[in-house]
Amino acid sequence: MNATLNQLAGIVGQAGVSTTPESLAAYASDSSFATPMKPAAVVKVQSAEQVEALVKWANQTQTPLVPVSSGAPHYKGDTVAEMPGSVIVDLSGMKKILNINRQQRMAVVEPGVTYGELQAALAKEGMCLSMPLAPRATKSVAASVLDLEPRLNALHQWNYTEPLRCTEVTWGDGNRMFTGEAGAGPRDLEKQWAAQKWQVSPTGPNMLDFYRLLTASQGTMGIVTWVSLRCELLPQVERTYLVPAAKLEDVNEFAYKTLRVRFSDGLFVMNGAALASLMGGNAEEVKTLKAELPTYVAVVNVVGRELLPEERVQAQEQDIAEIAQACGLQLLPSVPGLRAEQVRAKAFEPSQVPFWKETAKGAFQDIFFTTTLNRTPEFIEAVQKQAIAAGYPVEDIGVYIQPINMGVGCHCEFTLPYNAACAKESARAKKLFVDISETISSMGAYFSRPHGIWARLQLNKDAQSTIALKKVKGIFDPNGILNPGKLSV
Amino acid sequence: MALTAEIYQAFEDVVGQRNISQDKGVLESYRCITSQSSAHYGPFDHKTPLPQAVIMPGSTEEVQKIIKLCNKYKIQFKASTTFWSAMGFIGSENAIQLDMRRMKGIEIDEKNMIAVVEPYAIGAVVQVEAMKVGLNCNIPGVGCSSSVVASTAGWVGFGPTSISMGVAGENMLGAEWVLPDGEVLRTGSLGAGAGWFNGEGPGPSTRSVLRGFQGTTGTMGVCTKVAIRLHPWPGPTCIPTRGQTPAYKASLPDNFKCYTLCYPSWEAWAKGAAMLHEAEIVYLGHRQFNMFGRDIKAAMLRILNDPNGQLADLEPLLQDPELKKQNELMKMDIQVVLAGMTARDIAYKEKVLDRILELCGGWKSEMMLEKDMQDYVLLYLLRLGHKNLNYTLCGSYEGNYGLSSNVFVATAVIEEASELKDKWAKTHTTIADTGGDSDMGSLSIIGGGGAMGWEFFVNFDAYDKASIQGTNDFIDETQKWMTSKGLGVDMGRWNQDIRRKDGLNFTQEEHDAMYVNAAQPLVFAYQWKVREAVNPNHLGGSYYRTLTPSKIGLA
Repeated sequence: MNATLNQLAGIVGQAGVSTTPESLAAYASDSSFATPMKPAAVVKVQSAEQVEALVKWANQTQTPLVPVSSGAPHYKGDTVAEMPGSVIVDLSGMKKILNINRQQRMAVVEPGVTYGELQAALAKEGMCLSMPLAPRATKSVAASVLDLEPRLNALHQWNYTEPLRCTEVTWGDGNRMFTGEAGAGPRDLEKQWAAQKWQVSPTGPNMLDFYRLLTASQGTMGIVTWVSLRCELLPQVERTYLVPAAKLEDVNEFAYKTLRVRFSDGLFVMNGAALASLMGGNAEEVKTLKAELPTYVAVVNVVGRELLPEERVQAQEQDIAEIAQACGLQLLPSVPGLRAEQVRAKAFEPSQVPFWKETAKGAFQDIFFTTTLNRTPEFIEAVQKQAIAAGYPVEDIGVYIQPINMGVGCHCEFTLPYNAACAKESARAKKLFVDISETISSMGAYFSRPHGIWARLQLNKDAQSTIALKKVKGIFDPNGILNPGKLSV
Repeated sequence: MALTAEIYQAFEDVVGQRNISQDKGVLESYRCITSQSSAHYGPFDHKTPLPQAVIMPGSTEEVQKIIKLCNKYKIQFKASTTFWSAMGFIGSENAIQLDMRRMKGIEIDEKNMIAVVEPYAIGAVVQVEAMKVGLNCNIPGVGCSSSVVASTAGWVGFGPTSISMGVAGENMLGAEWVLPDGEVLRTGSLGAGAGWFNGEGPGPSTRSVLRGFQGTTGTMGVCTKVAIRLHPWPGPTCIPTRGQTPAYKASLPDNFKCYTLCYPSWEAWAKGAAMLHEAEIVYLGHRQFNMFGRDIKAAMLRILNDPNGQLADLEPLLQDPELKKQNELMKMDIQVVLAGMTARDIAYKEKVLDRILELCGGWKSEMMLEKDMQDYVLLYLLRLGHKNLNYTLCGSYEGNYGLSSNVFVATAVIEEASELKDKWAKTHTTIADTGGDSDMGSLSIIGGGGAMGWEFFVNFDAYDKASIQGTNDFIDETQKWMTSKGLGVDMGRWNQDIRRKDGLNFTQEEHDAMYVNAAQPLVFAYQWKVREAVNPNHLGGSYYRTLTPSKIGLA
């Protein structure tokens, strides 16, 4: 073991290697139901060169590596090793914002950069990045976009992978390259910028979409050391509205119609429980809000940017109000207990600590998948039935529906809050999580980001997809050293 | 070598006697004069190889059986539908051609804005079906008579509407793909039995193998169905057309506006284009008619819109003072279409457009505001049904320079590029002399803007050896110029590395020599590994670019 640690220290320096009980314990488990496993060491890397050397070393020594970019707490099990002797590759110290280019609305960032840090830097240049719903404060932007976390504004998603564009990656075989437009070379960002190349187009280079192999991969294909991101102009005028509804079908219809004509700059649907969790400052407030809020609420954001911002907002808010009316709904600035501006302030910003999903009961388990909007009611019905059968309080289940990719599909998410201090509640939540996952999988829920047990559920459905995935994995990580155990059947 | 009777019979057993042929006349019709749209394939008498058979499968199951037979007998294959350019044709004398015209199904999921199309569903028909339910599809530069599957899965696929609809690869959802080994891969949600809406995952996207910056041009199996994302169409369910060919026109409601925007300088043009990208008001943006050449575009538009017009009218029209003035005013131009989803929306978009012109010192071309001209341009650009016009001047054309980068980089060198072309046209006479600047293309090749996709049209005669040679010499010059500017590979040379001049595939050794010194040779080494994994018998030909890994010291 000492030899191993010396080799690691040779790559990242003595200070970059840790085996203290505290540091190992920090990575031995997370807040999900993933089986805990203590890693052999934690290595804090500072550069792409160190990552490349580390992966080459791991291939020589057959050492499993688990890449981690975000700070704790972790919730999806993907940062917990599944193989003994694993080394955690902690990229959270790589915090440089390498470039911000207003002309092309692009930013290039290292994996340790969080949303809060990036948005502050972008704001100085009159820009911002599209957001997932209130990410935790320690969430890495790179990890978030690589995991295809859904964005609040589906209409800026020219495909499912937006706003991710180019990357630098060290594949599992130890080879480092640039992907996308950046891959046309030279492999030197400074030189590319000097030639006015801003890493805009994600495709290729050439005939293979390399970056797509990194998406939703949970660090099993390569370790990314920078990403380029398409940014947006900072809104000059911004107004938010709420569309309450008793029936999900009605609010879905409103979403369909609004997105169909490309109106709104952020549109999502939550049930009262999810919205109360987002907005409530503590468990009591969540409880009170939940009792007051409508069954479902669509949150609609409209912005005006550089040119005639007020005119844009005015035109769209009137048109969207008419769409709501046609669906038998109302576009409102507030509902009892909540103003739309308050929702915007929470939803479009990184979460405060503790993470908002922990507010209701301290712990939670998410179940998320992709589907189409029109199918969401049947999944909700199935989840509620399952919860009732398990004796879980249905009214506690949060529902978040996020249209994605211009409304062609949607991210559907259920949140099961529970009290982790109570063994009985934890066991019930864990069983319910498994039962619901299996039920909705059998109904056609598509776990496109197959974390934990979802990999088994999803990959078992289609042999050819699994075979293709194994072939690709065999090319880019032939010795299986990157996060082994994840994404396997 | 000819197929043996046993092999031919095996193929015939799959598709039936009516859907396979070895007739010499039929086979000859599946050859392409390689220099037709790529001068570097010249001279004009070079053709793609004669296929050993032409087979027309009618279903995914038939395609799968054919490909398994190809693997059994080690016969190369290429599937094509609308046969654009040499890339649709085989590159080996031991190959069969699949003609996919029997598979032309279209299914539209209106609610979720998805169309599922088979290979012979062409852009025009998909668009008509989509418009019936208030939707539209991205029609790439290749035009509406081409296969949607081919542009989505096989090639690049950007066009006038890519600014608002994205490029073909961005619109690709689930796909059904018969891999080169005969297995069927259904990508994303389709493989999971959850529908066509998501082509990604589960986990890392294996769709990345099916297309990158460009598709795999029929070298990695056969895409038998693909789902594409559709986009809003706030117009009538059937476009009312009038007029005579080639100048059909469409009168659309007031929520559609069609303008030719003009600027006093390329700096102003670039500023305006960047603002159009950012303002998100444009439904369609394309510098279209400059393909005829800066000096003659106004005259060509007049000829095309005159039912009795012909090329012989060009000279007198060029002397018309008013036309000369209009032509001069739209020297640095671009056509745009605004589509309002509501009355408020179009009013807002018009205001923003006027504001952009004000800020950039631009104007709307008066000539292009004439009612008939507007209606002509509107239909032309929405439908992109006039690909034949690319060939009007000399019978063939080549797109070169290929200034596909950010608007500020590309526009800064257009005048210099134009001067080079103008000088060449005037001194060599092998390419048409149309005024230097014949740069045309999309306002954006990425959804939402970011890079323009332009090419200079170089018109030549594919049946004239001197014209082909002259065009090649010219492109050698432009490549030197592009290299000196750090602009990469000239578009006229994009395909140079995928088929030899004699129409046959390159060998691996030849490819190795080409890619070993690439900026990132690793890219081609990984593509080699991917090919070995999914196409072990190498049945796709050299359009798939590979480098033997050992050439760069990889296992």
